[in-house]
Amino acid sequence: MAQCAQSVQEFIQDSFVPMVSVLCSEDAERVTRKNNLSFPELLRPFCRLTSEGHLRDPNNQVVVVKGLRISVTGVNTRSPNSGEVRKLLSQAVSGCQPPEGLPANVITAGDYDLNISDRSVKASVPWYSDWKEMLTQLSSSKYYTATTPWFEAYRENFLQSMPASDHEFLNHYLACMLVVSSREAVPTEQFLKLSQEQHRIQHSGEYTYPKWFIPNTLKYYVLLHDISDGDEQRADSVYEDMKQRYGTQGCYLLKINSRTGAAGPDEQMPDPWSQYLQKTNIHSPLYITIIFSEVDGLDLSDVVSEIHPLKLEQSADPGFPGNPSKAVNSADTARTQKQGSVTPGAAPTAHGACLTLNDHDRIRQFIQEFTFRGLLPHIEKNIRQLNDQLVSRKGLSRSLFSATKKWFGGGKVPEKSIAELKNTAGLLYPPEAPELQIRKMADLCFLVQHYELAYSCYHTAKKDFLSDQAMLYAAGSLEMAAVSAFLQSGAPRPYPAHYMETAIQTYRDVCKNMVLAERCALLSAEVLKSQAKYSDAATLLIKMTSEDSDLRSALLLEQAAHCFINMRSPMVRKFAFHMILSGHRYSKAGQKRHALRCYCQAMQVYKGKGWTLAEDHINFTIGRQSFTLRQPENAVAAFRHILINDSKQTATQQSAFLREYLYVYKSLSQPSNEGSLPQLPLPCVHSAQTRVFFGHEPRLAEGEKQAATHVWLDQEFDQEQAQLWAELEEQVVAVANRGSVHISFQPTQYCLSSHTENLRYPFAVVEEPMFVEVVFRNPLKVPLVLSDLSLLWKFTTKDFSKPQGGTTGETITNEKEAAAGKATALNDIISTEVIPEFTVGLEETKVARLKLLPHKTGELHVLGIVYNLGTREEDNSASEASQLMFVRGRQDLEIQGPRLNVTKEEKTSVRHGPDRRLDPIITPPMPLLEVFFINFPTGLLCGEIRKAWVEFVNVSAVPLAGLRVASTHPEFFTFGSATADLTPVTPTAAEHCSAYKTMVTPPSDAAVTLVSPAAFGITGDNRPTVVEIPLTGGVLGPGEALQIPLWLRGPDREGVHEISFLFYYEGLEKNAKLGHRVLRHKAVICASRSLSVRATACRSNTLPGRGKRDEREEERSGSMLVFVDVENINTSEAGVREFHIVQVSSSSRQWRLHKCINPAGDKDSKLASRERGKLCFRATRCRTQEATSDALEKYTFADLNLGNEQIVSSTTPCADFFFRRGPPSEPRKGGVITVGGLLRRQSLTPANSTDDSMTSIVRKCSEVELDIIVLWKAYVVEDNKQLILEGQLHVALQTIGKEACSLSQKEEAQEMVLLKFKPDLPPPASRPSLEQLSHLIKTCLHYPESYDHPFPQKSLCMVPVTLTLSNCSLAQVDVIIDLRHKTTSPESLEVHGSFTWLGQTQYKLQLRPQEVHGLSLKACFFQAGVYNLGTPRVFAKLAQSGTMCETSQQSAMPALIIINSV
Amino acid sequence: MEICKVFFHLSVSVILSPLQNYPLYIRSVPSQSELKFHYTVHTSLDVVEEKISTAGKAMAEQRELYLGLLYPTEDYKVYGYVTNSKVKFVIVVDSSNTSLRDNEIRSMFRKLHNSFTDVMCNPFYNPGDPIQSRAMFTMVSGLKSDKCGWLV
Repeated sequence: MAQCAQSVQEFIQDSFVPMVSVLCSEDAERVTRKNNLSFPELLRPFCRLTSEGHLRDPNNQVVVVKGLRISVTGVNTRSPNSGEVRKLLSQAVSGCQPPEGLPANVITAGDYDLNISDRSVKASVPWYSDWKEMLTQLSSSKYYTATTPWFEAYRENFLQSMPASDHEFLNHYLACMLVVSSREAVPTEQFLKLSQEQHRIQHSGEYTYPKWFIPNTLKYYVLLHDISDGDEQRADSVYEDMKQRYGTQGCYLLKINSRTGAAGPDEQMPDPWSQYLQKTNIHSPLYITIIFSEVDGLDLSDVVSEIHPLKLEQSADPGFPGNPSKAVNSADTARTQKQGSVTPGAAPTAHGACLTLNDHDRIRQFIQEFTFRGLLPHIEKNIRQLNDQLVSRKGLSRSLFSATKKWFGGGKVPEKSIAELKNTAGLLYPPEAPELQIRKMADLCFLVQHYELAYSCYHTAKKDFLSDQAMLYAAGSLEMAAVSAFLQSGAPRPYPAHYMETAIQTYRDVCKNMVLAERCALLSAEVLKSQAKYSDAATLLIKMTSEDSDLRSALLLEQAAHCFINMRSPMVRKFAFHMILSGHRYSKAGQKRHALRCYCQAMQVYKGKGWTLAEDHINFTIGRQSFTLRQPENAVAAFRHILINDSKQTATQQSAFLREYLYVYKSLSQPSNEGSLPQLPLPCVHSAQTRVFFGHEPRLAEGEKQAATHVWLDQEFDQEQAQLWAELEEQVVAVANRGSVHISFQPTQYCLSSHTENLRYPFAVVEEPMFVEVVFRNPLKVPLVLSDLSLLWKFTTKDFSKPQGGTTGETITNEKEAAAGKATALNDIISTEVIPEFTVGLEETKVARLKLLPHKTGELHVLGIVYNLGTREEDNSASEASQLMFVRGRQDLEIQGPRLNVTKEEKTSVRHGPDRRLDPIITPPMPLLEVFFINFPTGLLCGEIRKAWVEFVNVSAVPLAGLRVASTHPEFFTFGSATADLTPVTPTAAEHCSAYKTMVTPPSDAAVTLVSPAAFGITGDNRPTVVEIPLTGGVLGPGEALQIPLWLRGPDREGVHEISFLFYYEGLEKNAKLGHRVLRHKAVICASRSLSVRATACRSNTLPGRGKRDEREEERSGSMLVFVDVENINTSEAGVREFHIVQVSSSSRQWRLHKCINPAGDKDSKLASRERGKLCFRATRCRTQEATSDALEKYTFADLNLGNEQIVSSTTPCADFFFRRGPPSEPRKGGVITVGGLLRRQSLTPANSTDDSMTSIVRKCSEVELDIIVLWKAYVVEDNKQLILEGQLHVALQTIGKEACSLSQKEEAQEMVLLKFKPDLPPPASRPSLEQLSHLIKTCLHYPESYDHPFPQKSLCMVPVTLTLSNCSLAQVDVIIDLRHKTTSPESLEVHGSFTWLGQTQYKLQLRPQEVHGLSLKACFFQAGVYNLGTPRVFAKLAQSGTMCETSQQSAMPALIIINSV
Repeated sequence: MEICKVFFHLSVSVILSPLQNYPLYIRSVPSQSELKFHYTVHTSLDVVEEKISTAGKAMAEQRELYLGLLYPTEDYKVYGYVTNSKVKFVIVVDSSNTSLRDNEIRSMFRKLHNSFTDVMCNPFYNPGDPIQSRAMFTMVSGLKSDKCGWLV
């Protein structure tokens, strides 16, 4: 609740004070005017009596009068008419604003800390982020009360402006001061004149106002003496004369103006008038309006013209004694008029300039004298008189009195019955009516603070009035009875609130007198509040709100709101609600500041509580009010709040908000056009998602030419991909720097986003564009239109070509240019692209790409974006207007880096690292490569070879060197070997030729070529991931282009393959900032199945013996059979008609294919869909003479063509791809696993040496290391055209007897390989396995296939059999041959039971390395039949190793012999 | 948490969460003057709190959930209901509608409470979020159509 400065008692006392009028002679007026004051004004500061007065009541009891105040006014002071009152009050209210800068008053109500008044505007705006903090800080201060000074001002002015009415006497004049100057020629005459004048005014009936309390008004004669100007002797003598005439109690000599001239500037005089002047000026509205106009910024001229001085005089009520000749008595008005018109807004001139402190004391003395000697005795006398009258009348008794009234008062009764309701209100008693006498006495008692007597009189009067149905009088008495009951000290009776209620109701409903009702309500509310009956007070106040006065309703609602918050359990929400209502009424009453304040206070309750509709409404109103009060910042902030929050409003409402916001914003930004641009709230910018791209926008494919994909903003960031590219780049950099990578190596990043590490300043190259992608989100249901969207930047030029970092130029920014809409103004330094229009739909998230093109080197900082914000109107007719409806503003792009979390300090506090993605360094020019692919396929068969072309273009102005390419799939492509001629045949010419180099040769034995892998750029075992691309002269000059062929081979696995190429290049001169650049390309190849090739190598069992010598020689060193199974597994039957196996080549360091021993007749084996073919070849070891020392590293290529065309497999591209083939058995593994592998390998080295050597010998024996290349042609129908596709498949044979496949088997159950940091224990069984040992010795039985034997003649048949043993290994082998049947095995019994070996049954032999040994055996048969001779068991062991590793040789395949009986 | 309020045109019902008194559910039929209802309901919380605090001391356990008429305004009657977990329900009805007795209001609250309980039992409902339940919607719509008399 609003706390008053006064207590309730004081307030009520001060509301009803004895009124004293002043009649002043012209001369006297002149004397006071020296002080810039009229006589009543002069007295006003001293009107409160500091000492106690005493008087006796009719019962001779002493009544103490404490703190009495009297009111002294000019006799012609009139109460203003209702219109003026209204204006006056509104001015009083608006002139009284909460003080700024004082600590706010905080009331803690429940969960709410309410900041009432004062700084509430600032503190309660919701976006005021630390309001809570401030509030808590403030609430610890001592100020707990909320004051509403405007309400007090209103109340005071309202009470003072109450017109005197007939039904009560409280504000009727009790006395009149007649003031005459001592300089007057004959003062006594003047006194007489004034006295007559007073009499005329009171009794002539000419004037209805002012009203006088009692017919014989107290006249008090005052002689005013100007000390500085008059003869004191004379004044004294006149005063003596007066005393004689009027008695000492009826006159006074007041000496003032003891100071001559103006006060010295150094002398500080208290100016008691200044605080009263504004109160004084309630009678001179002009003055207040001037103050008001300063405060509220209203148009001064309006006010002045409205209240023109002339108008005041014209409107002077003829009922007032406004005699022009007595202009002195209206000096109040005259003076203020003058002051108002002369010095509007200037400091008011000092009052009382001629008065000393002594004079002040004299005036105070005078008032005291007047009151105690003149006024109080006068009142006392009158009370006695009235009392006597009443008592004497009481003799006739009340009953008789009323009886006579009944009998004789017929005049009144019928009157009432005619129009009862109407007239009861207007019923008038004659002034001498006895009922009025009671009332008069009551009023007198009340004025002198004799409340007990006053109450009983009021009570009596009330009864009388009620019985007369004189409602107005009754209500008045009720009101005053209640008030005096409240004011009674001692044992007070309970405050009769119902009296007040009745009075208010009567005033309002019956008498239709809202002013009186309001006064009554104000008093009652105050009383109720003092008794803590807040809810009653609130009800009362709310009841008084009505349509007829917005100001009153607003004030009362506000007070009611304060009542709610002061209740024992504070009703915060009711407070807020009524504040809103009050604010609404204030705004209707034109009190914008108060309205704004109310809304702001209510906002504190609604804010952040989820009542979004209410919140939006309040914000909207705050915005509007702030705007009309020319606080556009607050308005913008309020509107911004509505727009930013996820609003639940409808689209139309939102668009209205937006339009309002734009309008306000526009008007705000207009004056400050020169300054920096304001920040716009819409649309939301997700700065963290901003991406930056350095480089040109990618070109689309031009015809056959397909540009490298490189990097572009359309690509999503992929952590794996980024990692992959970084690895590739590291590889290529390592190669370029001869194996070392600088410690500070950082992969080149073209596209910076929230996923990349942005700790370093990125590099951009001069004359190359950079793009900034900004993410906008429109939270509204209204589309937003951004126009002239461009980037804001700051740029510092630096010349990096000079040593020591170069010279730093001055910093330039385009903020001003952008603000003026000329974003292109600084295009000679940095070209800024402007997007003319950019629409963000409703609730849409959209990205904008903004381009900058730096033309100078230096440091660039992208600060933010600048744009015009507007909205699109639906109708086209308003398009003109809507064009205007936009505002220019900016939003900063501030990107917070990732949170730091390394040191302890960083962990405990929240710190963020820098993010520099928007601060690139513009470096000197660098070469820029563009790569185009020509005839680059998108789909390939597995293993298909295709020839394409690649074009390198240097599009920069700087030469380019060191071009290299790295790829994730080096087996996929080749640029040809160095030996291959690089004659740049145009791509078109080569279109239908075979990719292979061919020779026409009939199928025959294998053609053999010896090739070193170094010729194909292969060194060591590693596959080359980095390939250097030869440039003519090592340099690609500016603008030059280079076209070279590129062979591609379809991946071995079907499916979609992503193949990454990383082109690396550098400038000729080393650039400190940017060492190299890269270009990325990602090709997507869809591989479809072609052929599946399986190959097996078997040790041939044929042994030397037959055939030519050289052959034998070859075979002596070993030969194998190679079976190649080819299956057409192509699934697209429509596309591929058939596959032809054109040629089978081999490549190995030790073996070569020798001969095709395919039994099938057709040489050109065709495979239709799902067909399968088998080819059989014999392979031999390469000739030893070829195996010179360096030939060990060389590969022998042997071509066995099945058609008439031999493909030279030892040249590009066949050999290239052969060398680039992936290691077949070892699947490509990630880096982590390789580490494990390395560890394992290392751990194996210190293993048992003998075991190891033995193992290796054994292993070697079965190792083959032969690679088969199957070359095929596929006949494909595509678009009714037959195409011939070629391809090659590789099969690597490693071990005899083990099947190898062209498709690397699906790695079954590729379990997670645990990363092991402990070296594995060396495998305990390091002995050669049985299977390996079994390959040590090759055995072969030579025998006749069938043998005729006449069993009838000879019952025993003996057949010679040769067992050939061949040592395949390179070590000595001990062999044991056991011919005995294994009797233990039942099956062998069955089969072999019928023949026996003759002679020695066990042989022990030692075979030298690669020795062939024949052993003659004899088999003995008893009867004809088919026998299996393969029973000899051969045991072999390495000679050096002990007995331990003897082991069984392979159980030979059945060797059947047919014994015929002849 | 807050309360849920449902307003119907002439009648609004609201559910408010227990502590911070933000609205969980507001429904007003018709929706034109929704803002006004928001203010009214918000204000009614004062009375609800008052009633709880006075009644709560006396018999914290057996407190009657139905608070009865909170206060009449010129045009509306505001009724309140508080669950044991301090979820508040407010119903505002047109005061000219005399056909609604205390019993009917009470049963409306009971239905509202049941429906609210169902919403809370939904495992996908995150306590404290605004209620967007279709079942709730139909239930509240049913409330008004039951009593077409007092609905506009």
